Amino acid sequence: MNHRLDGADAPYWQSLEAGQLQLPRCASCRRWLWPAGHRCSTCGSIGMVWEERPLRATVYSWTRTWHRFALTEALDLPYVSIVAEIEDCGIRLMGRMDDPSPDDPAIGEAVVGRIDRTRVGDDAIPTIIWSRAA
Amino acid sequence: MTHPLYGTTAVAGVGLRQFKRGASPLPERSLLVEAILDACLEAGLNPAEVDGFVSYGDDKNEPVRLMGDLGTRRLAWSASVFGGGGGGIAGAFGLAASAIISGQAKAVIVFRALAEGASGRMSAAVMAHHLNDHLLAAGLVSPAQMCAIRAQRLFKHYGVSQSIVEDLVRASYHHARNNPEAVGFGQDFDIAALHTSRWIAEPFRLFDCSRENDGAGALLLVSAEQAQDLAKPPVYLLGCAQGTEAGWGDLLENDADDLYATGGFRPVARDLYRQTGLSPADIDCVQLYENFDAQGVMSLIDHGFCTYENAAEVIRFDNLIAQGGKLPVNTAGGNLAQGFIHGIGLPIEAVRQLRGESANPVSGARTCLLAGGPGAPTVSSAIFANKVL
Repeated sequence: MNHRLDGADAPYWQSLEAGQLQLPRCASCRRWLWPAGHRCSTCGSIGMVWEERPLRATVYSWTRTWHRFALTEALDLPYVSIVAEIEDCGIRLMGRMDDPSPDDPAIGEAVVGRIDRTRVGDDAIPTIIWSRAA
Repeated sequence: MTHPLYGTTAVAGVGLRQFKRGASPLPERSLLVEAILDACLEAGLNPAEVDGFVSYGDDKNEPVRLMGDLGTRRLAWSASVFGGGGGGIAGAFGLAASAIISGQAKAVIVFRALAEGASGRMSAAVMAHHLNDHLLAAGLVSPAQMCAIRAQRLFKHYGVSQSIVEDLVRASYHHARNNPEAVGFGQDFDIAALHTSRWIAEPFRLFDCSRENDGAGALLLVSAEQAQDLAKPPVYLLGCAQGTEAGWGDLLENDADDLYATGGFRPVARDLYRQTGLSPADIDCVQLYENFDAQGVMSLIDHGFCTYENAAEVIRFDNLIAQGGKLPVNTAGGNLAQGFIHGIGLPIEAVRQLRGESANPVSGARTCLLAGGPGAPTVSSAIFANKVL
């Protein structure tokens, strides 16, 4: 069973598989919508369109994990997770960041992403890995 | 017009069994049965007469399975507040009261039971409720990490001094020191441990996090009228609100910008105060669900006790303790230092405090606010009082 194939956000996962980032917006009022759903909460229209966004964002918040939680066995400790606000659409995505230690990530700083995978058990989930923008 | 929940039901008995995590001498359901029997014994009510049960946080003990042990004659109401975390704890009282004032049940037990052997690690169970591939891909698999990300924003974006959590933690251990039922009973907590304990997920170290215990808690809610005929002085429910509003929820971290570094209580606190006609100034003590200390700070802000700007003036050790503080918080030690059975110890302490039975009595306390688990997609709060004001 793979929810990446049948959920409302399936096009997101398929876009990452294809090497790009696509995000949904209302087909009628053009508002960006996330999490992906079925109906626009602003204008009430059914239906959304998916558009490519560049892998550019700012750090909205972050944490560096030191404890070995179950399901993170494939990740080297410590690792940095961030909430990234995607450029020009305001949608926030969770992802991981190349640890910029000794300087902590800073809220508001620019990051650029690449698409990799995160191994969880037998699964390999497409993942955006962010790095501090040059 | 007085709200239908205002003073119309009351807690008539409480029961609490708490053990070290993984060390319960009894199966989970037996712990729960014992806690319910204790609550009924306190009240002087035959446990067979309990006809309703309410829980929260995905408790696995479906009430129908308790009937044999309790001798239940008629099970008329069994319900649970949605949500995997402790957000629903106060809402459970609203649900129980709704059953009573609408005549669907007469004696309702609000409960939570948890033993690692039966339910696994609570943190893992809470997270399993929410886990999806977005979280897994980011390596975000625990409540600690999700709350850490919000806490960073509180400290680094809003500039709330991280040192104020120290006062909340110290007050918790101060209270636990006097409470024979607390994990921290008789212990002098060295606050340096907060700063030197190992990192979990920045900005949280080990002692920023609540504990987990095996145990069970039960509170018996009946009509205010019936409570007056039972053995213990009634502790009235004055009001209860739960849920959320647009801009907050299960949104993959896309909560509204001005709500992101909150506990999610703004609509709940607003409705609770409106419903009861009370304000933060009317609250004599607070039982505050702190899954993590920073979330406790957010919850106090959400409930109007302070703001991002003046939090450091209000959240001070001497202001938070029962002995002379203006805002006594977690007078039994709270989730941090009393113990953590998904928060059920908090309403039990609210009741004991308002009966004058607390290990850290607040002089003249008439009201107590119960704030549920902060940061959950849906949260809840309630106000209890020892007389209907």
